[in-house]
Amino acid sequence: MKIMDILVRDAVILDLASQAKHDVLKELASALAKAESGVDEERLLQVLLEREGLQSTGIGDGVAIPHGKMPGLPRLVASFARSREGVNFESIDGQPTHLFFLLVVPEHSGGQHLKALARISRFFRDAGFRKSLAEATSLDDVFSAIEEEDAKF
Amino acid sequence: MSEAEGEYVVASELGLHARPAGEFAILAGRFECEIEVSRGGEWVSGQSVLALLSLAAARGTRLRIRAEGVGAADAVSALGALIERADEAPQGGS
Repeated sequence: MKIMDILVRDAVILDLASQAKHDVLKELASALAKAESGVDEERLLQVLLEREGLQSTGIGDGVAIPHGKMPGLPRLVASFARSREGVNFESIDGQPTHLFFLLVVPEHSGGQHLKALARISRFFRDAGFRKSLAEATSLDDVFSAIEEEDAKF
Repeated sequence: MSEAEGEYVVASELGLHARPAGEFAILAGRFECEIEVSRGGEWVSGQSVLALLSLAAARGTRLRIRAEGVGAADAVSALGALIERADEAPQGGS
């Protein structure tokens, strides 16, 4: 599974307008719903908020992986967004979150879900990758950084 | 100071996904130990969710946990119990 194969390019946000956690999730959900048919914005936002209620997906190192299941979704889809200022995402290390990778999976996709999480986590463990995304000045820079990681393994 | 190591099998149906990985990292952070996890190859930090998720540990995967520091044996057994804990009430989240 390549990340570029699941990334919905038109949903990627180089600079988030939102500064609060709820608003960031709404902005992510809205962009994905506009770009990907079969994703309902309100429903996705609700799913993401419920998931955050269980435990923040702000997993530290300035990274969050908001995610959730959407019954009826035909395929696993992802998106990316960045906040230059950083967002209080209640991350587990207490630090602001700058890089958001959104993952939305169909109802029964346990194996795929875990593999996608693992792959994106391997990307984000690389400080060079995080730096490339943090310093990207265009969407093309973002896509190039992801393509480069995708080609590694 | 002490060292401990143990092997545990992932019990959750969804594997070591984001939520249990988060719980693991938080719990690991409470011990004054260096904690690492491996599924046979590379050892990764048990205090990093990114590192734990990168293991792609599905149900049935054998994970080794090792700890070095104060209360290492307690850390390994507490974290091992988390790995071997079955799912709670089935919910939508993961």
